[in-house]
Amino acid sequence: MINDSMGMTERQLIGLAADGDARAIRSLYDRYAPRVYAVVRRIAGDDDLAQDYAQEAWIRAIRALPTFRGDARFSTWLHRIAVNAALQALRKAETRKKREGPAPVDVAIAPTHQDSLLQKQLEKALDGLPEGMRRVIILHDVEGYTHEEIGDVLGVTAGTSKSQLFKARAKMRVTLAGLAGAVQEHGAEAWTI
Amino acid sequence: MDHLTSEYLARLVDEAPTPDEARHLAECEACTAELDGLREQTRSLGSLPELMPPVGDWAVLEAQLRSEGLVRDPSLFQRLGLAQTPQWMKAAAAIMLFLSGTGTGALVASNPSSSLPDVAQLTEVEDAASAVRVAEQGYVTAVARYRELLAEDGGENADADPISRFAALEHLVMVSQAAVRQAPSDPFLNGFLASAMAERDAALRMVSANRDNWF
Repeated sequence: MINDSMGMTERQLIGLAADGDARAIRSLYDRYAPRVYAVVRRIAGDDDLAQDYAQEAWIRAIRALPTFRGDARFSTWLHRIAVNAALQALRKAETRKKREGPAPVDVAIAPTHQDSLLQKQLEKALDGLPEGMRRVIILHDVEGYTHEEIGDVLGVTAGTSKSQLFKARAKMRVTLAGLAGAVQEHGAEAWTI
Repeated sequence: MDHLTSEYLARLVDEAPTPDEARHLAECEACTAELDGLREQTRSLGSLPELMPPVGDWAVLEAQLRSEGLVRDPSLFQRLGLAQTPQWMKAAAAIMLFLSGTGTGALVASNPSSSLPDVAQLTEVEDAASAVRVAEQGYVTAVARYRELLAEDGGENADADPISRFAALEHLVMVSQAAVRQAPSDPFLNGFLASAMAERDAALRMVSANRDNWF
């Protein structure tokens, strides 16, 4: 049983937050904001978009709190809402972009917080992946979703998810090697079985 | 056999190799090293830390939540940590808070040693505000007493002294009597006074029973 600074269990907090209690909502936010922000930031590939998507995720979650029955862990439930909010927002943005014509590619910068060189390189390599690959590798390798779950979330088959994942891993490997200053493209010689 | 492509190797991070692939890996240091690198990359991705949202994120979110009516400010009871207070005690506290403005004189009258002024008699705004603050302090003290009672009601403090509980309820009765003096014909106040007295009498019976057991 986890108690927060208000001396309440998570279940009590959720109950109060569902009633709109500002302190309870703040307490849940303090506990889960880094997790929510991390997943939407990586899916968005951009800091500004990430903040908007995270806000959207929280609003959806607070709005849906009265329907949270506790069948899954709250963190899992919230995480799924965050992923869906980010993906949906990206889809909307893509549709808008298509309608408005080509725009300059916004390559995200590395996160501004203090972190290791490896972490920065990983984040940068993730940001540089094509959208489809990035979503799959984030959901699978970073967030631990199965291919079936990814299929449900992204509306693709598990096979497509796998195929995108393997491409993404290979592409990241090349990108990371480049970032590390030692380009060793393993597949450069058209290696096949 | 040629080297395995990076995509084939990426698959082998979490899937078993075919016999051909296994044979190749057993003989090829380059492919084995590449597979190890991909495994390390995948492990590192799985260990990426959470990311702190930008400073000020909560303020923006809170404003949005408020604009959608999804947040309400905590009540006085919640701010005082009394969210679980029984309804009858909330009513008592509300009465006391109400009286802190108009009935301070009555409360003071019930306590001759107090030097609190009667707010209703004050003409200067500052003096009146000061008196209300003092009355509010008394209110906070009283709700702290209720909290002790709640702990006993909820079984959190089963060993609590029944005499203390009785004394707190006696205080509650005194306060509610002051309220009834302010509005003698108010049915709600009279009902509350009756409830408080019943609680106090029950506590008294508990005290008596405990005393009997001592002998």
